[in-house]
Amino acid sequence: MTGKLILGVPSKGRLMEQTADDFAARGLALAKTGHQRGYRGEIAGFPDVEVAYLSASEIARHLQLGRIHLGVTGEDLIREHIPDADKRCDLVAKLGFGRADVVVAVPECWIDVATIADLEEAAAIFYREHGRRLRVATKYMNLTRRFFAEKGLVSYRIVESLGATEGTPAAQTAEIIVDITTTGTTLRANRLKTLSNGTILRSQACLFASIAAPRSPASGAAEARIRQHFAKSI
Amino acid sequence: MRVEPSAFPQAETPAESALRFEALEAQAEQIMGVFARAGYERVAPSFIQPADIFLDRIGEALRNRTYVFTDPDGQELCLRPDLTIPACRIYLERNPEADAEARYSYNGPAFRYQPGEPDALRPREFRQAGIENFGEADREQTDAEVLALILEAIRLAGLTGFEVRCGDLGLFRALLGALPIPARWRDRLLHGFWRPGAFHSALRQLASAPASLPDPRVAALAASLDPQNSLTAEQQVAAFLDANNLAMLGARNTGEITSRLLSAAADMREQPLSADVVELVESYLAISGPADAALAAIASLMNEARIDLSAPLDACRRRQMLMREADIDMSAMEFDTDFGRQFEYYSGFVFQIEMPGHGIAGQIAGGGRYDGLLASIGAERDAPAIGSAIHTERLLAAKGSGR
Repeated sequence: MTGKLILGVPSKGRLMEQTADDFAARGLALAKTGHQRGYRGEIAGFPDVEVAYLSASEIARHLQLGRIHLGVTGEDLIREHIPDADKRCDLVAKLGFGRADVVVAVPECWIDVATIADLEEAAAIFYREHGRRLRVATKYMNLTRRFFAEKGLVSYRIVESLGATEGTPAAQTAEIIVDITTTGTTLRANRLKTLSNGTILRSQACLFASIAAPRSPASGAAEARIRQHFAKSI
Repeated sequence: MRVEPSAFPQAETPAESALRFEALEAQAEQIMGVFARAGYERVAPSFIQPADIFLDRIGEALRNRTYVFTDPDGQELCLRPDLTIPACRIYLERNPEADAEARYSYNGPAFRYQPGEPDALRPREFRQAGIENFGEADREQTDAEVLALILEAIRLAGLTGFEVRCGDLGLFRALLGALPIPARWRDRLLHGFWRPGAFHSALRQLASAPASLPDPRVAALAASLDPQNSLTAEQQVAAFLDANNLAMLGARNTGEITSRLLSAAADMREQPLSADVVELVESYLAISGPADAALAAIASLMNEARIDLSAPLDACRRRQMLMREADIDMSAMEFDTDFGRQFEYYSGFVFQIEMPGHGIAGQIAGGGRYDGLLASIGAERDAPAIGSAIHTERLLAAKGSGR
């Protein structure tokens, strides 16, 4: 143990850039140490902080296990990958970028289905007619199960989908999907529509603190200083 | 990138599948002896089961609690989360016609993920000792016998101070059947029964606005469909989809869409569910108490509402008489109309043996009738079936706590 505070930030793409911009606007300058393609960094003026560049889903996992103290990742990933997320992670701040909704979408031609209650009834009839459950393609297996359980929808099966989820109804590998959407354009292009009460989560990038991670006096002090930069909106 | 090893890893994986293993085994042998003397053949259901049958029958919610995995051949399998369905599979393998009587008993581990931290009384590996009884036509008689046998086993193991809670899902189905409401509303309410929240909102919705077609064009289409001729109606729906450039996508067909639109159209013409009916259903589901008194309360509620439930109520009374004859202490038995909502495959009599004041850890044994389950996992027809299992770790612990 180095005793340092470890901050996990996204290691690629828009999310990495937006995180750096957001931190800079709060007076926290993130910079890589060593090679530009490396995965280690620092915050100027914070000698007790080590920055770890990780994939967004790894950040969720490491926060859960307490391997990093702070991390920037999507709320969707935290809620998907961590059971009892509120007990294991503390939401420090919503960062206002990386916005996307996790939604239930069904084929547009299902003109009789506008709500989750309609879907439940259609699913029951589908089971009777076809002798199998309605298939839901998604990578959000836990969010989907929890949401459907809350809404009382039971007659379905999840088919795990790790890409091109919107295409699964057309490919006949699923009947409906649960996926992330920002503008709905991809859903429409694939002849899918959302349901009026079918939004599972309005997600955005957030800074989370791990409850499980052990703090040294130095890392605890560094965390308190960083948290101050997120105490007010920018 | 190397990150710090975690100081607080996941909940520990215990090295021992069971603590006090010898005591558990001795207790189980005693229980299995009781079952054997009553003519139950000991079977060994597979630990590893096809995941499909569980997920399709009990639903996706179970996956949260089940260890599901894929083997190298790509088959989706699971560790059995209980032993009822595995025992049913043995019965169907031996009696594909589901037409023979059979009595099976078993003792062995079941596996369930425990959200939060697993503990001694909610372990993720636990042993169930139980029985399944197939094909016996006298349902009330068999119900009473199965409960009496489980109570005998528990008493012989040394447990005292327990209570029996029971219910009858068939009675609720009979009530819905006797109500003056359209069959599709019956289906809707019955379907929702297992999820109290959803049930309540379904009831409210039927009482206010039974149909919901928010798109006015779709509502107009539904109203224009010919309810007498489903073929014409389906053609109308297909034409509407065509005209609106809505191509069919996936396995759900125009017939299914049409049938729901026809239901919605019928609902729009129907008077909403009357307040009397809503109150009757809610009053029924609020009845609970000592078994004899609860049945009397149901009978008088039905009398007042002029609903004829005499045949199913007579069956309940007969079952209680048979229980009394089997020396079951009826004063320690509670009948709860609401009970059994958490187990979707149960169809009739359901019961649970509980140590009062111990929460989940006090749920020592449970069981019930599941007449429709065999057909839903591949039998040609519905067959009478009832079973019960004892949570042996909890039984052992409850005996200890009583001393």
